[in-house]
Amino acid sequence: MTDLLKRLCLLDGTSGDEGAVRELIISEIKDFCELKTDPLGNIIAFKKGKKPSAKRLMLDAHMDEVGLIITSVTHEGFLKFKTVGGIDTSALLFRCVRINRDITGVIGGKPIHLISAAERKKLPKCDSLYIDIGAQNREEALKSVCIGDCAIMESDFTLMGDKVISKALDDRIGCALLITLLKEESEFDFHASFSVQEEIGLRGAKTAAFGINPQCAIVLEATTAADIAGVAEENTVCKLGAGPAVSFMDRSTVYDRGFYNAALESGIDCQPKSAVAGGNNSGAVHLTREGVRTLAISVPCRYIHTACNMADIKDIENALKLCRFMLNGICGGEIE
Amino acid sequence: MKTIKETLFALSSADAVGNVREAADLGFELLSQYTKAEKTDSLTVIGYLKGNSDYTLMLDAHIDQVAMVVTDVDDNGFLTVAKCGGIDIRSLPSRSVTVHGKEKIPAVFCSTPPHLANGETEYDDISKIKLDTALGEGAKTVVSVGDFVTFNKLPAELCGTRVTGRSFDDRAAVTCLIEVARRLSDRELPVNVVFVLSDSEELGLRGIRTATYKINPDEALAVDVSFGDGPSISAEECGKLGGGGMIGISPALEKRISKKLVRTAEQKNIPYQLEAMGETSGTNADMIAVTREGVPCCTLSIPLRNMHTDTELLDLKDLEAVCDLLCEYILSGGVMND
Repeated sequence: MTDLLKRLCLLDGTSGDEGAVRELIISEIKDFCELKTDPLGNIIAFKKGKKPSAKRLMLDAHMDEVGLIITSVTHEGFLKFKTVGGIDTSALLFRCVRINRDITGVIGGKPIHLISAAERKKLPKCDSLYIDIGAQNREEALKSVCIGDCAIMESDFTLMGDKVISKALDDRIGCALLITLLKEESEFDFHASFSVQEEIGLRGAKTAAFGINPQCAIVLEATTAADIAGVAEENTVCKLGAGPAVSFMDRSTVYDRGFYNAALESGIDCQPKSAVAGGNNSGAVHLTREGVRTLAISVPCRYIHTACNMADIKDIENALKLCRFMLNGICGGEIE
Repeated sequence: MKTIKETLFALSSADAVGNVREAADLGFELLSQYTKAEKTDSLTVIGYLKGNSDYTLMLDAHIDQVAMVVTDVDDNGFLTVAKCGGIDIRSLPSRSVTVHGKEKIPAVFCSTPPHLANGETEYDDISKIKLDTALGEGAKTVVSVGDFVTFNKLPAELCGTRVTGRSFDDRAAVTCLIEVARRLSDRELPVNVVFVLSDSEELGLRGIRTATYKINPDEALAVDVSFGDGPSISAEECGKLGGGGMIGISPALEKRISKKLVRTAEQKNIPYQLEAMGETSGTNADMIAVTREGVPCCTLSIPLRNMHTDTELLDLKDLEAVCDLLCEYILSGGVMND
C-alpha cells in the first residue's frame, strides 16, 4: 500500500486537472471491476462481490489536491496565480512549485533584509505573490507555460518510521484505500467513485452520487490532526496513531449516527473526530436525491493543505480494516 | 572536471554550519585540485597559488549558510529552534528541513491547523514555531540541544541558464572561487592569490576576521551575493539577473579597486553592473578592510533572488561573468601598481 500511496501522491492533480491521477487509478483497477468516467471526470466503478448487497453502497475518495492556477504572465515573465482550494500563504512563500507536471518554478518575494520589522511579522497578501520560472520576459515564459496551467507545491515522499510525509496525502490516502478494496475479493457488491473537484466545493461527488444513486455511502478522507506542540488538548481534533477518525458532525454534514456508533464499536482502533470542523464529500453525497446515509472514515493528517502532510501508516491500515468491517456490515445487513 | 553548474549544485546540496562540515570538506576537496589547500580549526578553508611577487591578493567567499539550531527537544518529538542568521520565519510553517542529529533526519515545521487559523498569526518569534520530527518520544535518542537544522531543498534547473536552490548565498561565490582557481592554476601570476572559503559570515563576519589576520593580504575582494531584481523590489535596491557581477562602490570600500574592476570589465568586454551603497556593504569586506592596519578591499557580488531561503534563484551567466572578471583582474595584478 505504501508504494501505491507514493505513486499516487507524487502525481500532480490540482482540482480540475486530475487526469494523471485518474489514469493511474484506472490502470490499477481496470482488471478488477467495471468502470466508466462520467462527464465531470469522476471514475465510477462497480465491484462484483460474491453476494448481492443488502444496500446499494457507494465508497468515495477524491482524486484532486489543493494547488495553484496561473492567471496571467507579467511583462517581466513572472506568473500571477490564484489558489485552488484553501492554502495558507505561509505554505506558499518561497516554495518550490511544479507547473503542468513538468516546469519548476519558485514563489518569490522580498528578501528578509529588505523588509521592515513590522512587515516581517505579517504574511504578505497572497495576491502579491508570483511564480518565478527563471524566464527573462513574458515571451520566454509563455514558451513553457500557458494561462490556466495548474501548479502544485513540490514535495518528496518521505517515510520516517511509521510516519509518511508528502503532499496530497489528502486524499490520495482515500484513493489508495479504495483501490485496495476494489482489487481484493469482496463478499458483497459495491460501487465506488474517485471524484474530482472536492477542494473547490465537493463538486465531483455531487454528480458521482447522483449517477450511482446509493442508499448508503462511506467517504474515505484525510482530516486535520492538530496533535502538535502548542495546541490545547481540546483543539487537537484527532491524533496520529490512534486510528482513523469517524465524524459525528462537521461543517458539511450531520453523519448517520447508526453508522458512527457501529464504527466506534467495531473493535478496530479508531477515534471520534472531536471537533465540528472541516468538511468533505459527505456534504454533497448525503444530500443526493432523496438523501443518503453517510459515514466518513478519515485518516488523521497533520499539516493538511501544505506540501508536507504527515500521517501514520498504522492509521491507514486501520482505516482499511474499518472500511472492510463497515462495508461487510452494511452490505450484509448486520449494520442497520 | 565539473561544470560551474555541477559545482554549484554539489556545493548547494551539502551543508556547512557549526560542526556540520559537508560543504567545507567538499570545498577543500575541490580547491585542493588546483591550489595548495588547508583546513583550519573552524570551517574555513584556505587555498594558495604562488605568484611572481610578494603582493598577496585575497579572494573571499563564505562557506557557511543560514541555518537553525535546536534549543529544546520535548517528550513528543517536537523541537524548538533558534536562528543562525537571517531567516524569514513567515515561510517556515509546513517547511521540510534536515536535523543534523546522531543521524540526519527529516522534520517539518508545524503549521497552524486550518480550524485554528484566524488570519492574525504574528510571526515574531521562531521559538513559537515548533519542529515536528515525527519520532514522538524517540526523538530524544537522535536529537540533542545544539544540533543544527538546515533547509533540505535540492537545487533545480529553471528556464534557460537560471537555477534555484538553497545556500547559493554564498556557494555561488565559492563556486566562482573554485573555477577561478582552476583557470589560474597553471598560469603565471603577477601576485600571490589566496582563496578563502570563510566560516560564520552569517553570524556576523566572524570567520573572515581571523582568516584575514592570518593571511595578512595586501588587497582583498569579498565575493558574495546581493539582491536580484523582482516585482516587489525597487530597481535601485537590486541588481539585474543576467547583468553580470555587481561591482561594489561605497565609502567603506577601496575606490581604486572598484575603478580597476570597472576598467578591466570594460577592456575585456565582460558584463558588469555597479552596486553603490551608502555606508558599509554588509559583507565580509566590512571586516577585511579593518583587519590589522587595514586592507584595501572591495565587493564583487552575484545578483540573487529570494536570499536566505531554500528557493534562492540566480543566473549561471552571472557566475561566468564574475569568474571572467576575477581572472582578468588577478592577471592584471589587481591594484598592486595603481
